[in-house]
Amino acid sequence: MTDAPALSVRNLEVRYGAVPAVRNVSLDVARGEIVGLIGPNGAGKSTTLHAIMGLVPAREGDVTVAGASVLGKAPEWIARRGVALVPEGRRIYPDFTVEENLRLGLAGLRTTRSNRSLTGAYELFPVLHDFRRRHAGLLSGGQQQQLAIARALVAQPDVLLLDEPSLGLAPSLVDSVFETLAKIRDGGFAVLLVEQRAQRTVALANRTHVLSNGELRLTLGPEDAGDTEKMVSAYLGG
Amino acid sequence: MRRYLDPLVQVLAPAVLVVAVGIWSTLVSSSNEIYFLNALVSVAIVVAIYVFIGNSGVLSFGQISFVAVGAFVAGIMTIPLESKTGVLPQLFPVLRDHTVGNLVSLLLAAGAGGLFAFAVGLPLMRLSGLAAGIATFAVLEVTHNILREWTKIGPGATTLSLVPETTDALQATLGALVVIGLAFLYQRSRLGRRLRASREDPAAARGVGVNVHRERLWAFTASGALAGFAGGLLVHLLGSITTEQVYLELTFVTLAMLVIGGLTSLWGAVVGALVVSGLDSFLTEAEQGVHVGFSIDLPQGTRLIFLGAIMAVVVIVRPSGLTGGREFRLVR
Amino acid sequence: MIYAVVDAQTLADAVGLGAVYALMAVGIGLVFGVLRLVNFAYGQLIMAGAYTLAFTSHWRVGWSIAACVVVVVALSLVMDRVVFRPLRGSSPAVMLVATFAIAFMLQAIALLVDIRDNTIGEIATSIAPLNQPTTVHGVEVRKITIVAVIVAAVALALLALLLTRTTIGLHMRAAATDFGTARLLGVQANRVIGFAVVLSGILAAIVSVILTVQFPFVGPDFALRDTIVVLVGVVVGGIDRLWTATLGGFSIGFATGVINGALPTEQTVFLPSAVFALVILVLLLRPAGLFAWGRGPVERV
Repeated sequence: MTDAPALSVRNLEVRYGAVPAVRNVSLDVARGEIVGLIGPNGAGKSTTLHAIMGLVPAREGDVTVAGASVLGKAPEWIARRGVALVPEGRRIYPDFTVEENLRLGLAGLRTTRSNRSLTGAYELFPVLHDFRRRHAGLLSGGQQQQLAIARALVAQPDVLLLDEPSLGLAPSLVDSVFETLAKIRDGGFAVLLVEQRAQRTVALANRTHVLSNGELRLTLGPEDAGDTEKMVSAYLGG
Repeated sequence: MRRYLDPLVQVLAPAVLVVAVGIWSTLVSSSNEIYFLNALVSVAIVVAIYVFIGNSGVLSFGQISFVAVGAFVAGIMTIPLESKTGVLPQLFPVLRDHTVGNLVSLLLAAGAGGLFAFAVGLPLMRLSGLAAGIATFAVLEVTHNILREWTKIGPGATTLSLVPETTDALQATLGALVVIGLAFLYQRSRLGRRLRASREDPAAARGVGVNVHRERLWAFTASGALAGFAGGLLVHLLGSITTEQVYLELTFVTLAMLVIGGLTSLWGAVVGALVVSGLDSFLTEAEQGVHVGFSIDLPQGTRLIFLGAIMAVVVIVRPSGLTGGREFRLVR
Repeated sequence: MIYAVVDAQTLADAVGLGAVYALMAVGIGLVFGVLRLVNFAYGQLIMAGAYTLAFTSHWRVGWSIAACVVVVVALSLVMDRVVFRPLRGSSPAVMLVATFAIAFMLQAIALLVDIRDNTIGEIATSIAPLNQPTTVHGVEVRKITIVAVIVAAVALALLALLLTRTTIGLHMRAAATDFGTARLLGVQANRVIGFAVVLSGILAAIVSVILTVQFPFVGPDFALRDTIVVLVGVVVGGIDRLWTATLGGFSIGFATGVINGALPTEQTVFLPSAVFALVILVLLLRPAGLFAWGRGPVERV
């Protein structure tokens, strides 16, 4: 057991060709907390998550999970070190059944954990149990989002990364997503949440970083959720 | 000034190489001359293939069909009249009762190749990727089958011989230069540029109004005409031709030349053809025992191994080929 | 007038050929699924297996076949490590050309090895007795045809079970559909690809055993024609999914068998033209494949 935070990012720099998409980004996420990452479109939020997950190469900086560096490793290696990503657009397999989609998530299970069970996921999302033999493509948007989150959770990760989980969902479904995230935090996971819905994220997260043009501008706490002026200036300023 | 110098250099570099090879061929023994002339005809064939594949980015396995058509047309039409009726009695009268000269035969070959390419390309240019590869391969198979079995248009499975051997150093060099020149003109023209735009990004090209299908058809037709012309050069070099000589092995070898040289540039096509021809000639000699300071005696059939191995290595290690897929540039 | 006779013997042979081609189609389709690469050199794997059987003709049958499997699977793995792996992520044109080159190279190597005894071709005779005919329901059928159909059916059934019921099968299907997402879930790319390559090799070995019974004379171009035909069948059927590729392979094998057996020889000289013209027609009408629906090949992430 280590004192290091579950996820630690230091001075991360990612470039697409000559263009820097993410510059000098540092943040920590501890177990049992949600850290939000908000900002305008193209700010580099998704890129940050992709770099942590090893999907894009980082030019500089470091990413450590429980103190061990994961920079430059293959995504499947990082997944099996206890990091799970719920990607933007969910990326489920529509022609596979719900159960098969969940079983795919088990690929990220660390071999030390022998509990290859889907029951936890089914308890958290009962609708998935009802539809477990259905083709995932037939599920509604909200249900697919639940599936994507459940799929990440079955790997029993320490760190959960989410890329805009509320994208394209009706307001009532957005509520349920944020409720689920709160439950996940209570479960002891370290959650890094990228979102467009700034206010709700700031209200939910333990702290929220604002990313603009690839750089961290500001850090907000839940108490700032009602302060519209601060939020607006954070987005537009600098 | 720079604007005119660069394109001039781009076309002169391959031209100079070709002329150098042509001059060299007159200085060596007659038994070695054939290798050089073969190299020049290979340049013509590979550049013709490049005109389509390099500019469009679509891989075609069928370009040798047009070489075949050109070779047989030029060959049949130049066999002396007296011999033709005896050797090929079953030909259609229009083919059997007429004979043309060297130059006309080359023009006929180009025309036949171009016409055939146009007819085939009209439906086929809608395809890309794997489907295009298989479809063009099917064209090669159909051409081979028809040429081999239809005795009214050719000798069928037997060798077409008695063709006048009019491809000497001059004809080979000039022929290669003509193909290079026309290929260069094409790629510098608006037609060529539009096609290259579609190679990089078909969706974007369509977005700015490029009719991809039509541009590919032009390139395919031009490629077919040039390939037919090269086929004419080939048959006049060998004095004979069989269907097997313009089928799978030639397809493989010419594709190898283009890939090794660099798929996407004229310089690449020429360099690839000359380098591989040189290597191939050396290996052919080595198969019969050669002295290069020490003795090399390779068993029969090794040349294809080496060619395949080199092609594979180039594709893996340097996919853009020896020239990096770029035209020749004077380094300042 | 073309006078065609389609008797039971012809049908049986056609089904047998279809079965063999179906196995080859699966071998090609498996590797395409996980690598998006058409292995032109697949026929050379079968050729290598046939040569192994020929060189071990004097062994006991079981050991001969075992040697064949070992050689073919080993060659497949080497091909993957040396050629496929560096090419991962390259453009389809580059991959096509590379496997094309390997195909020619292997064929030439085989020629070199073969010709040391100054003749081209070796004979594989250990299981030749299976080429004898037997009578089933009053129809004369070669034993090997029955064996081929049974083996193909069993192999395909086992494969279907593997793909749908096992974890590695699930991973392979996921990799074939969307490799990028599969990797971020933890699916190990090298393991999945290696597994597909090994399966593909085993299938090639099975095919080489069956083919050497019917054609015991093994030369460097063993199964070359068949591979080209199967490749065409696979693309025409639809290379993007395993079952459409398999169906395409079976169909072209069956069709070839029926036509070859039904038409007298003088009328079959233009058969290749007819077949390939048909191929072009199908590709024009349905570029994604005859049995596929809607979308074309999926881009690898």
